[in-house]
Amino acid sequence: MNTRNKISWFICLTFFTIFSGCREKVVNENIVNSLPPIYPDYIEVTIPASIAPLNFTIRNENFELIDVLVKGKGHESLHVQGKKDIQFPIKPWKKLLSENKDSSLQFMVSIKQNGNWKTFKPFNIYINSDSIDYGLVYRLIAPGYEVYSKMGIYERNLSNFDQRPIVENTLITGSCLNCHAFNQNNPSFMSLHIRGDNGATMLKVNNDMQMFITKTDSTISSCVYPYWHPSGNYIAYSVNITNQAFHAVKDERVEVVDKASDIVVYDVKSNKLISTNLLKTDDLETFPAFSPDGKTLYFCLAKKMDLQNDYKKVKYSLCKISFDPSIGKFGSKIDTLVSANDTKKSVSFPRPSFDGKFLMFTLSDYGNFSIWHKEADLYLFNLSDGTFHAIDQVNSENTESYHDWSSNSRWFVFSSRRDDGLYTRLYISHIDQNGNVTKPFMLPQKKADFYDNSLFSYNVPEFTQKPINLNLLEFKNKIMNDEKKQMQFEK
Amino acid sequence: MAFTYFFYFYQFHLHFEEQLQMFLFTKSYFYDFLSRPGGLTDYLGTFFMQFYFVSWAGALIIAFLLILLQYQVFAISSKINNYHKIDYFLISFIPSFLIWGLLCNENISINILITSIIILFFAQLYLILKKRAIRWIFFLFASPFLFWIAGGEFWIFNLICFVIELFYYKHLKISEYFVLALLMIITTSSPIIFSWLARLQYPLNRLWWGPWYSRYPIVSPTTFLLSWLSIPFSIFITTILPETSKRKNAIILKSLLFLVIFSGGVFIVIGSSDQKKEKIMSYDYYARNEKWDKIIELANKKDPKDPLSVTCLNLALAKTGVMGDAMFRYFQNGIEGLLPTFQRDFVTPFVAGEVYYHLGFLNTSLRYNFEAMEAIPDHKKSVRAMKRMAEVNLLNEEYKVAEKYLNLLSKTLFYREWAKHTLSIINNPKAINENTEWEKLKKYQFTEDFLFSEQEKDQMLGLSLLHCPTNKMVYEYLMAYTLLNRDLKHFYEYYPLGKEIYYKKIPSHYQEALILFWSIQPLGLDNIPNMIDVPVKQKFIQFVNDYSSEEYKTKKELFQKKYSQTYWYYYYFINQII
Repeated sequence: MNTRNKISWFICLTFFTIFSGCREKVVNENIVNSLPPIYPDYIEVTIPASIAPLNFTIRNENFELIDVLVKGKGHESLHVQGKKDIQFPIKPWKKLLSENKDSSLQFMVSIKQNGNWKTFKPFNIYINSDSIDYGLVYRLIAPGYEVYSKMGIYERNLSNFDQRPIVENTLITGSCLNCHAFNQNNPSFMSLHIRGDNGATMLKVNNDMQMFITKTDSTISSCVYPYWHPSGNYIAYSVNITNQAFHAVKDERVEVVDKASDIVVYDVKSNKLISTNLLKTDDLETFPAFSPDGKTLYFCLAKKMDLQNDYKKVKYSLCKISFDPSIGKFGSKIDTLVSANDTKKSVSFPRPSFDGKFLMFTLSDYGNFSIWHKEADLYLFNLSDGTFHAIDQVNSENTESYHDWSSNSRWFVFSSRRDDGLYTRLYISHIDQNGNVTKPFMLPQKKADFYDNSLFSYNVPEFTQKPINLNLLEFKNKIMNDEKKQMQFEK
Repeated sequence: MAFTYFFYFYQFHLHFEEQLQMFLFTKSYFYDFLSRPGGLTDYLGTFFMQFYFVSWAGALIIAFLLILLQYQVFAISSKINNYHKIDYFLISFIPSFLIWGLLCNENISINILITSIIILFFAQLYLILKKRAIRWIFFLFASPFLFWIAGGEFWIFNLICFVIELFYYKHLKISEYFVLALLMIITTSSPIIFSWLARLQYPLNRLWWGPWYSRYPIVSPTTFLLSWLSIPFSIFITTILPETSKRKNAIILKSLLFLVIFSGGVFIVIGSSDQKKEKIMSYDYYARNEKWDKIIELANKKDPKDPLSVTCLNLALAKTGVMGDAMFRYFQNGIEGLLPTFQRDFVTPFVAGEVYYHLGFLNTSLRYNFEAMEAIPDHKKSVRAMKRMAEVNLLNEEYKVAEKYLNLLSKTLFYREWAKHTLSIINNPKAINENTEWEKLKKYQFTEDFLFSEQEKDQMLGLSLLHCPTNKMVYEYLMAYTLLNRDLKHFYEYYPLGKEIYYKKIPSHYQEALILFWSIQPLGLDNIPNMIDVPVKQKFIQFVNDYSSEEYKTKKELFQKKYSQTYWYYYYFINQII
């Protein structure tokens, strides 16, 4: 060992001694037979091995110190204390997780109250070896009504706490950003809609970025709710004329209803919007999503009603139509997979898993804006036998709405208002090949009180396989430039 | 002077600005500011502006900072001139006067003043550094640093340093001029460099002119430029002007200077003041703080004319129980002065939100407050909205959301106590009901759902009254709505809905409307029911006679004096939209 190494060892040892000495010992503890009231609730959840530390705090109990001892299947352990919350160091956390794949970690939580220690019943966190994507992309926006303040599209690295803005609306004054979409979680194919004076839809395929005006004379509005075809050659959109209204009673807030809506598919190569009379009817068609083989288009369909008096009677069914990507033509009939006549409820956000086995959707009492419906829950449709059921493991008394699959279809992320009833937060859950779902965990943050201080809702979470490569300068120049490409409708 | 001005003549502007932000004493709040250009001064500005809650404190802070700025300008120019030109002391007031003028605009932040002070502080440090190499290295780092902490005004530091090099250190060689110019160019490019390196999510023009000096992202740069340039100009001009003390006419020169600068200053401040807005803000302030008597007192001095002030006045009249007797004693400008239409801004929804809250339309009040907060262009949230949103969520039994807002408010300085008290009763319905206003509002809460329609306000009021027939304020607003719309048919139709209010006597304006309604019915004046007071009936007969007389045409003012406080006058003579 050379002198330099000796010095390094000495420094490390000194630090270790100092910091070990700083930690208080849990002594004479009172052991209680209840689980610790931790926030976020990570008790008995299943997590991927690459996830950032699940830092937490204790709620509804006063304490001077929290002590957490995490043990794996071997001898390795992690012992952390905190005055306000528990923050696990990333490297030892990662090491512990990677050594305990397909096993569990036991968490022993103690708190010091008035000088005395209290130890709770230990709980487990399960580590599944199925990998998860690099990150999540979502919109952060205050859960408002018509006016929007600061908002942006952000990318979060799931293996740590890094969040970076992709585009914020401060870049283009007065703009609104929405409808970000990637091709099966591959951010090389990206779509983003910008509303406002300089509004346009950005399509980015690899390094080629173009801005489009998507409203045509033959379509009722600009294109929204994008879903990429797996080939990257098409994007399905819906075109909607929406109305917003506000409830009078305390349990409900906002109602967004479609006065009219159709489905169109954009042919990236020929710059043409295509559709079929079956998807451009007087009824309401919305939320298109391609199957992973690209040969089927799933969507939601409802009968048009008088919106003033019968808006609660608007109930969407889950339907599908075949699509031939080689010629860009639709089939001649629509099949109904989940009928609103049978369920007496309304389907929104159909999203097929990329392995082709399942389709997840949101079911609410009526309408299509399930995000403001407390009763909205997630359902799983089995594509092989046509059955579907509520995913009880992830549903709550409050709203569960938008969702997305990981690239290997073994994880899904969804937004829920369960935390406080208003601000949507993201939850991730594991699903195996047979459709068995585990208890979800809230997107971890470095500080346990992060969500308390945040006045943003997490909107439209999408997994991404790698960081987004967006040239901000090019984006800014192109969006401010008046020369945007006009999408053409093929009649 | 500045203290007197802001405390006595402009205090409601201070209150108005205070409500449009929410300064939190938390680390994450501080770090959030530091992560963006101009963030530190914005943090300091937001910190100081929270003291506008107490108008004398706000006025004192502004006055102190203006004086500090003047002192710094004077200190720098004195040092450059080796203290030989203190006669030009008065010139150092120019930047303070110009910035004072800017601060009269409620959308210009005190940041602009703080930034100037920080820049001058760095310039003072520059003056201390005698060794050129050290000084220039300091400059190379200080200028971009100033951009990051103070924003787009940073380049004024470069100009001041240039003046210092030229007139204080002097003796630069040509090559040194070249190096200095190069340094200036490099450092002045800071916004471009930072924008590129740090992927800043702001357009370049916003980085040059802000980003946080104004509430709005797009500003007219001329006024900013004038006030910024006045700082190096005041230093520069002092250095080139001759010494006056040895001249015979020094006193005359000084007096002239005093006259020019102070009259110019007063002209700038008066020209920048907006007393019309100050008046509206005073109505809003009193409405927000439920000082109903103060509002009526203000209106008694001079009738408010703009819709927002009239809205506050009508609210005050309703809250003090005299709406039916007194609303037409004041100028009325139609429905907009009763229930203003929703606007996507941060002014109207706050005022309208107050009305809806007191009427018991809690969800509408929540929405208006949320929208007002979101409409604030600098995204600083709003303590006022946060407080109201916490209250409504509490009444809506959305306890977790209420708790979230209250927890945030408990990290502020002036709302902490209220928030902590409210937090302590959040899960205690009995304690909540002890607040008589909340208890009443809970009673008014809708139990049957409908979609709120902005276009059918009378129907919304009607639904509310059907839900709670004893809600006197809703009844009076419904009546006022029909009266302001000159809709006597519906007034007469809705009038019986007030039977559960149990008025001791029919409010005067309702009597005036009833008699007017009956008079234009086939029944005629002679057969009107005897529920109308005799004096009202007599006055109406007089009104009809006067109105139909030839004399009326020539003596309109007399007519106005006699009847302007009646509903009849409004019905026939006041234009609906002013």
